[in-house]
Amino acid sequence: MNSALALVLSLAAGLFTYHVYARYVDQRIIQADARRATPARLYMDGVDFMPTSKHVLFGYQFKSIAALGPVTGPIIAMQWGWLPAFLWVILGTMFIGWVQDYTSCMIGVRNEGQTFGALSYRLISPRGRITLLAFIFFYLILIVAAFGKIVGDMMAAVPSVPVAIVALVVVGLGAGYLIYRKHADIVYTTLGMVVLALLAIWLGTGVPIKASPMTWVIFALAFSYAGAVLPIWLYGQPINYISFYLVFLGMIGAGIGVFVGHPTFTIPAFTKWTIPLGPIWPLLFVTVACGAISGWHSLVSSSGSARQLEKETDARYVGAGAMISEMVLATLSIIIAAATFASFKDYGAALAKGPAYIFATGMSGLLNFLGISQEFGKAFAGAMYVILAITVMQLVLRVARLSTTELLGDYIPIMRNMYVTAALVAIICWALIATGTWQYIWTLFGGSNQLMAALALMLVSIWLKQTGRNWHFTFWPMLFMFATTVCALVLTGIKLFRAPALLLAGKIKPPAGQTVAMAIGGNYVSGVIAFLLVLAALVLVVDGLRVFFAARPSAEAGATQASSTAD
Amino acid sequence: MRFWKRASRPEPSGEGGQVSGRPAAEQGRGRQTSEQAPRETVGSAIKEFIYGMAAHDMARFALKTRSSMEHLFILITMGDLLGVPILPPYYSLRLLPYVVPQISTWKRRMLREKDLTDAIY
Repeated sequence: MNSALALVLSLAAGLFTYHVYARYVDQRIIQADARRATPARLYMDGVDFMPTSKHVLFGYQFKSIAALGPVTGPIIAMQWGWLPAFLWVILGTMFIGWVQDYTSCMIGVRNEGQTFGALSYRLISPRGRITLLAFIFFYLILIVAAFGKIVGDMMAAVPSVPVAIVALVVVGLGAGYLIYRKHADIVYTTLGMVVLALLAIWLGTGVPIKASPMTWVIFALAFSYAGAVLPIWLYGQPINYISFYLVFLGMIGAGIGVFVGHPTFTIPAFTKWTIPLGPIWPLLFVTVACGAISGWHSLVSSSGSARQLEKETDARYVGAGAMISEMVLATLSIIIAAATFASFKDYGAALAKGPAYIFATGMSGLLNFLGISQEFGKAFAGAMYVILAITVMQLVLRVARLSTTELLGDYIPIMRNMYVTAALVAIICWALIATGTWQYIWTLFGGSNQLMAALALMLVSIWLKQTGRNWHFTFWPMLFMFATTVCALVLTGIKLFRAPALLLAGKIKPPAGQTVAMAIGGNYVSGVIAFLLVLAALVLVVDGLRVFFAARPSAEAGATQASSTAD
Repeated sequence: MRFWKRASRPEPSGEGGQVSGRPAAEQGRGRQTSEQAPRETVGSAIKEFIYGMAAHDMARFALKTRSSMEHLFILITMGDLLGVPILPPYYSLRLLPYVVPQISTWKRRMLREKDLTDAIY
């Protein structure tokens, strides 16, 4: 298939979904009403609850959800061929992805901006809240581990990237100093610093730094550790701010590159049903997470955007619009993976160096259509990829540090020390990376992410049924996602528990850089995490379904119906 | 440039009570309903979109930081309202006029349930 056609198909599917299905759900089922007061207007406190322009919120939501997930998942999923991943990205977004993002936002809007913890306590059961929060905590740890591993691989595979990242840190800190301390003009400062960052990336191509992937993993964790303990305005934010412009430029450049070069897909549409990672169902559906549906989005929608919507009718634009835009980004990633290499064999060889390497190579190819040199393009794409990962790693490590203190601070006094808790979380992540196999870590991350999505859809289904609305459009996707992800996690868990025996028998070898003992330990730890996630999800779903089937419509729906009729 | 809009009063349903801790006169000055807002253009929408992607979280975090400092101050001066007497009532009374506008939102924020997802966004 021609890549430009794939992008056009994706855009057409997105427009159709937004203007037909999303409009129907928004107007007929949820009955969004522009005159109904949102939590942002009712409880405006100038901080969390703040009516905000829908365009600002769209950008905020898109930036918050579009990280490494939609980029990496499709690249790995090319092992089944490009068609399954393409179909899942398009159909998943059309029928499940935007539904989750939008309804997570609306459940927050209609419930005074409550978080999922509070909602699960109220809608499901007291233990629902504890289970959900424990689940989210493990999920956060897996995000750092999965992203950290990929960053390590990328920086080892493309030696021009490390200089770019170090330069970016220096430039970002400079920008923070100028903006916050010297009150310099933000436009000129931004322009100057972005140009400096691009110059540094170009210079970095002449100064390659080679080190092992594990060295770079430690570098990435140290970087995130600093982000987790230093004041956020001093370190994390200015670096992220300058980084954003690089990512934005890269995305626009790649999009134009597709239309200018319109390369043809070189890997087969379909390879086989079962690959070494596992069978297409359920594994494909957890490997490609964020481009089709992702639990992370529900957290952003419910805690972030739901409290800032000025009007209920903005929710479709913000929730569904951002998700559909992310679908286009995931399509871009499919194009990068499917059209870069001469053959499927070359793709397989590149995958051995990590999905990040494929991204850098493919992206540089697209930028090359615009006249940008391959060498600079590779360094730029590598820096962009690392930025996408490290931005989230910093944030998540910070949140994990806070929650560890909340969880253990009362019992173990030293856990009130943020340097200790941040280090503890970073060490746990490092141990997972050092002993794990990256494809399994990615599957665990994808599985927990998709389970989070299923749990979000379940909360929404309960709320819809309790308020007398049509619940089918969230309930059936929830069942599908739940069955798929639980099966994927159980399959992965079984494989992880079987691996030690095979390692001892010498039938499989430990990943590069690991001893047999490390690999065995890592397999057991990852396997235990997989089953703990499944257990937590089962508890929640059993409780949730019990409430769902017992639910009877309450007065709220009638009131909404009456108000809508009166209009 | 402020991309957020100050809200109008809530609908007459009355849920939630006061919109903000700011005095009514101040709220009135800043009122800008969507009906009154100037017609948006493609340029302004793009500008707002880029602001949302690049800097909205920074602005939110700055507001959160300021809010935390203010909460600490009000907790010290008005802790009695939550059953935590810290300052002698004499000083609380002297400071009362300065914090009155914020008491409503402060109590709501202090008593609202929070969990780790709050720390993410």
